Amino acid sequence: MADEQISLPSLILIVVIGGLVVRYLFFSSPSPASQQQPRDAASAARTREAAVERIQQMFPQLDRRTILWDLQRTGGSISATTERVLSGRIETPPVTFQPPSPPRTPANAASATTRSQQQKPAIPKSTEPDLITRYNLQSRINDSPASAENGGSVDAKGKAWSSNRDERQSALQRRRDEMIIAARRKMEAKIAAERAGAGSQ
Amino acid sequence: MAPNSRKTIAYTEDDLLQWEALIQGPEGTPFEGGIFPAELKFPKDYPLAPPTMKFLGEIFHPNVYPSGLVCISILHPPGDDPNHYEHASERWSPIQSVEKILISVMSMLAEPNDESPANVEAAKMWRDRRAEYEQKVRDGVRRMLGL
Repeated sequence: MADEQISLPSLILIVVIGGLVVRYLFFSSPSPASQQQPRDAASAARTREAAVERIQQMFPQLDRRTILWDLQRTGGSISATTERVLSGRIETPPVTFQPPSPPRTPANAASATTRSQQQKPAIPKSTEPDLITRYNLQSRINDSPASAENGGSVDAKGKAWSSNRDERQSALQRRRDEMIIAARRKMEAKIAAERAGAGSQ
Repeated sequence: MAPNSRKTIAYTEDDLLQWEALIQGPEGTPFEGGIFPAELKFPKDYPLAPPTMKFLGEIFHPNVYPSGLVCISILHPPGDDPNHYEHASERWSPIQSVEKILISVMSMLAEPNDESPANVEAAKMWRDRRAEYEQKVRDGVRRMLGL
């Protein structure tokens, strides 16, 4: 009798646990899965693209396909892939590897346009201030070489390391300006010579 | 600050941790005749840590980032390279000097190292279409001089 009393609660417990397990395995899992499947795919694609973008920012030399292949192998871990790239263990993906295509969402298109907008100013930026405008040398470009030589002698005087800080500074600046102007003159002469050569031919 | 050779000068006394230098393009290279201003920034713990160097104007070179930042081994922190590209002796150490950096930059201009390019486009062009690369560099040099 005592045996029965002990086994009855445990029996109930077993039945309840068994019921929960059965419910978990057969009833609960299909319904959320059917809801989560598409959302999971979308969010997985989003995290994947974010990971690819982050790695591509760090290593612009890698192509998307290589990154995706490695991310797949490391289970989508950015740090693991970064580690592998840095240690040179990244492999080229096999020909059979088909990378998932980048999602064409409006957000993506928008970021693409902002990127191209960012790139556009970058090109004029590279052609920005030349040395003449940078150091305000416009007035001195057309000085005759004689006056430049004159300046040179002043420079020679100032070349002895002056104890005055401002004097030192201006001597160095003068040297800088002269260096630029001399280089410009030389280049002008070279271009003129090239033109003359092209003209005579 | 100390003008160390006719090829390069560094100046600016306002801030001892920030120098400006002019680098003359080495002869016999497409950079010949060009003048390139650059900025050297020294960290607080110099000379234990290396300075950084950044070109202030446009320069198209495989080892210079599009931002102008120079990528050469002497400017890399001391110790062994985690990628095993460079020997510890090539990297920064407190016995290096600004003069050596400028000399290294000059030789970098003459001989790009395409093993670890900073500007991939420039490295590709240097490797595959050398004539086009040299023309582009020459055009850049002239633009810098306002011609």
